[in-house]
Amino acid sequence: MIQKIRFLLAETGQNIWRNLALTLASIIVVGVSLSLFGSSQLVARGVDNATRRWEGGIEFVVFMRADAEQSQLDAIEAVLDESTGNEIDSWVFVDKAQTFDEFKEYFAGDQELLDTISVDTMPPSFRIRPTDPNAGAVEALGSTFEAKPGVRTVVFATEVIREIQSNAEKISRATLWAGVTLLFASTIMILTTLSIAIASRRNEIEIMKLVGASNWFIRIPFMIEGMIQGVIGALIALPGLAIVRTYLIEDFSKSDVLRLLEGFRVTDAEFLFISLGVLGIGTLVATIGSIFAVSRYLDV
Amino acid sequence: MIKLENVTKEYNPTSPALIDASVDIEKGEFVFLIGQSGSGKSTFIRLLNREEKPTTGNVYVAGKDIVGLSSWRVPFLRRNIGCIFQDYRLLPKRNVAENVAFALEVIGRPKHVIEQQVPAILDLVGLSEKSHRLPAELSGGEQQRVSIARAFVNRPLILLADEPTGNLDPDTAVGIMRLLDRINRTGTTVVMATHDRGIVDTMRRRVIELVDGRIVRDQAEGEYR
Repeated sequence: MIQKIRFLLAETGQNIWRNLALTLASIIVVGVSLSLFGSSQLVARGVDNATRRWEGGIEFVVFMRADAEQSQLDAIEAVLDESTGNEIDSWVFVDKAQTFDEFKEYFAGDQELLDTISVDTMPPSFRIRPTDPNAGAVEALGSTFEAKPGVRTVVFATEVIREIQSNAEKISRATLWAGVTLLFASTIMILTTLSIAIASRRNEIEIMKLVGASNWFIRIPFMIEGMIQGVIGALIALPGLAIVRTYLIEDFSKSDVLRLLEGFRVTDAEFLFISLGVLGIGTLVATIGSIFAVSRYLDV
Repeated sequence: MIKLENVTKEYNPTSPALIDASVDIEKGEFVFLIGQSGSGKSTFIRLLNREEKPTTGNVYVAGKDIVGLSSWRVPFLRRNIGCIFQDYRLLPKRNVAENVAFALEVIGRPKHVIEQQVPAILDLVGLSEKSHRLPAELSGGEQQRVSIARAFVNRPLILLADEPTGNLDPDTAVGIMRLLDRINRTGTTVVMATHDRGIVDTMRRRVIELVDGRIVRDQAEGEYR
């Protein structure tokens, strides 16, 4: 038995060695497609977590006109003070300078845009946390500010969140489709790699059949070769996912721009689940490719 | 040992490769299969190790019907049948001993068995001295000896030979025939397709002649006519 296993592994090793470039290409395609697939799942998880977090603390923002007079600001402040403890739980005033700072941070790469603006053009705003988090109540409360002098617009956090949600959903869906398409390509890559491996060994295979090697004995080295491509592909996708998680998702949520992305993160349990899923899909894709290849190209 | 009952094999319906062939070959016989190219000799041989299935009729090997054999059992049939060919079919990157060992490795024989049987069979075919040569470093006759060693190392009941001397000069061919004769004397049934008039006439064994897929002669101690 050990003898057989050693022989099969040696055969597999030889196959891979002879066909190294194509095997590597195939592993990379599997890796990239699974990274995309996994990333789409990470983003989706992140959005779920962010929005769940926001259900408990919906805010709305009253943006003042850039040229609003101090008296108009004072008037709004007076209303807010009056309502604090009743409809309003708490509120923060963000002045022009702070807004400008946030803006600069947000568009840090875009010097051209930053050159066209100045502190004076920034709208000051009031960020408000209402007592009643119900969306209807928030909207009713927020809209009472819309008509007040000096108010430019009232933006509800729900809207912002909904926008993040839909954008993230678009990103997640696009990467999912790219991932699925590439997974399909991976299956074909594995299939092609195996068909070439089979073709390059047709003499050996012919003799194996002739001397009575069992069908599985002939198939197994090629199946292992396919599985290795899938599993190694999945294993190189995992660090990719860790990078997406750390740098894209966690860092994003730490940036305090609008503080709306707070909670946009993926828990360890979710990450483990997605990683195992990626490994499972990699194995599945390899299994499908291998079975198809040996049944189609290996006429035993 | 081998029995064909009314076997017809058609690759295309207009010109069958073998028509209504019935043959009975006993254990330990040596049978020449003669006929022109395209007369059905190779088809006859391919039917015996289940490389082909007959269109109609039955084929029995060692008392078993092999037509209805499920595909996963075919390898076990083939472990009892050695095959040699005109073109030797050796693996060019493996040396003589490795080529022979390969036949045992792929049917899962343990290492100590392989280490014992390979030198023994190479001794039998007279290639002990050249066990580390690659096939390309050997003469045609020597390569055919390696392929016989590979076919016989597992001690099959039947040896099928499709034009084994087709690429060899007459003297070398005589050497190969002596070897096949020796193998036959161990009790192995040998079925050999050939064109070689000289060999058939010298050996004087059973001759089955095929013309256009039909058996036209089945004669004990026959000649090539």
